[in-house]
Amino acid sequence: MSPITLILIAIGLGLAGWLAGRAKAWSFQSSDPAHRPVSRPIYHAWYVALWVALPVLAFVAIWSAIAPQLVTQSVLASPAAAELPAFGFERDAFLGEARAVAQGSAPGVFNSDAEPLVAPFREAMTRYNIIGVIVTVLIAVAGGGFAFLRLRPDFRARTRVERTVMAILLLASLVAILTTFGIFASLVFETVRFFGMVSPIEFLFGTKWGPDTMVSPDAVDPSRYGAVPLFWGTIFIGAIIAMIVAIPLGLMSAIYLTQYADPRVRTWVKPLLEILAGVPTVVYGYFAALTVAPAIRDAAVAIGISGASTESALAAGVVMGVMIIPFVSSMADDSMAAVPSAMRDGSLAMGATKSETIRRVLFPAALPGIVAGIMLAVSRAIGETMIVVMAASPAANLTLNPLEPMSTVTVQIVKLLTGEQSTDHPATLSAFALGFVLFMVTLALNFIALRVVKRFREAYE
Amino acid sequence: MTVIHPNMADENAKIRARDVCVYYGDKQAIDHVSIDISPDYVTAFIGPSGCGKSTFLRCFNRMNDTIPSARVTGLIELEGDDIHGDRMDVVQLRARVGMVFQKPNPFPKSIYENIAYGPKIHGLAEKKADLDVIVERSLTRAGLWDEVKDRLEDSGTALSGGQQQRLCIARAIAVDPEVILMDEPASALDPIATAKIEELIDELSGRYAIVIVTHSMQQAARVSQRTAFFHLGKMVEYGPTSEIFTNPIEERTKDYITGRYG
Repeated sequence: MSPITLILIAIGLGLAGWLAGRAKAWSFQSSDPAHRPVSRPIYHAWYVALWVALPVLAFVAIWSAIAPQLVTQSVLASPAAAELPAFGFERDAFLGEARAVAQGSAPGVFNSDAEPLVAPFREAMTRYNIIGVIVTVLIAVAGGGFAFLRLRPDFRARTRVERTVMAILLLASLVAILTTFGIFASLVFETVRFFGMVSPIEFLFGTKWGPDTMVSPDAVDPSRYGAVPLFWGTIFIGAIIAMIVAIPLGLMSAIYLTQYADPRVRTWVKPLLEILAGVPTVVYGYFAALTVAPAIRDAAVAIGISGASTESALAAGVVMGVMIIPFVSSMADDSMAAVPSAMRDGSLAMGATKSETIRRVLFPAALPGIVAGIMLAVSRAIGETMIVVMAASPAANLTLNPLEPMSTVTVQIVKLLTGEQSTDHPATLSAFALGFVLFMVTLALNFIALRVVKRFREAYE
Repeated sequence: MTVIHPNMADENAKIRARDVCVYYGDKQAIDHVSIDISPDYVTAFIGPSGCGKSTFLRCFNRMNDTIPSARVTGLIELEGDDIHGDRMDVVQLRARVGMVFQKPNPFPKSIYENIAYGPKIHGLAEKKADLDVIVERSLTRAGLWDEVKDRLEDSGTALSGGQQQRLCIARAIAVDPEVILMDEPASALDPIATAKIEELIDELSGRYAIVIVTHSMQQAARVSQRTAFFHLGKMVEYGPTSEIFTNPIEERTKDYITGRYG
């Protein structure tokens, strides 16, 4: 019996509790103001329903985790299990096969040795299914009964229901936060393992990157794990080239849209620009790798620069910049729109032209918000993966020439984790260390940006 | 119709408006208003909310241009020049006709930069020293110099509400306008700050033609020599302030002055 069935039972019983609670609450209704119930019947109904549903859900969550173990144990205790190999692969395979047949998800056993186990499996499953249903019903009835008996005219059902709902909402919002902590913890764990093999100093300040995946984990050469070329490539592509493209174009489009555009133009152009933000980055990746990169190489060759690469940092950076434009422009747009119109009027009334007003009053006033937008854009750009995977080079290269190939942190992470090395190899573990550094940097950028935005908001409220 | 007291027509009028109408989209906000604004007096526009007095004031420096749906018809002359004419640039007009708003709106810049803003964009000062002189003179005229002379680099937004409003007046004075428009300049201020602003208006009158929109009839009586009463987009009565408040001709003016509505 699957958890779904148990949940359906819980919902059915919850509905029954809901109706019973409401029926009882209705009987409290009184024309005498002194005896009017504190809460409306609907809250009494929900109070009972929650007392039925929540304990059952908790039980189902636990039960679906432990029931398979209980079944296996009871099968192992049966006489038929005495024939099984004591340990290892074969034993697990037999058990798995017998279980599949018993569940009806496999037509028959492959190993005849598993055959005798099918019947005990079936028996145990039936037993535990029945136990599960009985316990579910018992819990539901107990919870519902307890809640039902507490209902009285002066019972504050509403506050309790609302508190419970609030707790559920809180739990929902904690999921994302806890996940972030989980990611962080797993990164830290693997990073520490990596730093046990390669020293952090070597990793953070070494200038040669070229993990050798063929060498045995014991004979690792730490000098091949210097991540500086990757950090530089990431910064050069994501924070320099991309921003040289995105900042001027984003700001100019924001200024046009907020200050000059006809409202009709604005209603068309602004959503169009925001759609750009929704284009899958892999599509930008094609564009960078197949269109922009060859064009840049050809242009470089045409003006006599030799050694230009089709995997140039310039191509990846420019396309990434285009991708980032909507972020910069939309943040700049918001913060310019947030400048009180009294500022603008004050400047215009002084005889300033529109462009003087924008340059000398609106732009400086909106600057904190714009800077925050740019920082968020940078943090996005350096964490961007698909464009650089497709357009940048897998070979790390410490250079200032944008026409040469360069690699980024994200490219290396993808490369190292999609290989076939064991998870114990330092080459694989180095991906976690890279991810950890990236995580910390983007976290810091986001944190600072949000602080700046917050202070900026307070200034005008 | 409009009642205009004798001797209100002015040969030397600073601003002359004839049959001015303002429309917001299809809605008419001002209906054929004609008025002469004297250079020597403070002129007050009074009337109930929504009567169009602020809208009419904003015609004089063409601030209604900044509202896309607004449309102004009729003739407005500044010293005989049509302000909508080809020979008048709106930038020049606003340099000659300054404005102070209802809510103090200093720029988020230093006190010094707030005052220097206008002279800089209009190229009134060649050297920093000239600018210093203008800043000091403007702040002095606005009665703010003694309070802020030691902290000219502080942000203008850090001042109190009343100081901010005087900063805005100083900012308007800095470009040496001929007319200063004030749109309920004290309505966001406490009584003490209000008194200071009124005092300041008194000191500035004569040097600048001042037109003030106000909600408060006492304020109009205290600071102005000429009063125009507006109602439902029309100018009902225009005359010397003392006459308007003691001896109004129009029944509606009398009702408003005595507090029967508004």
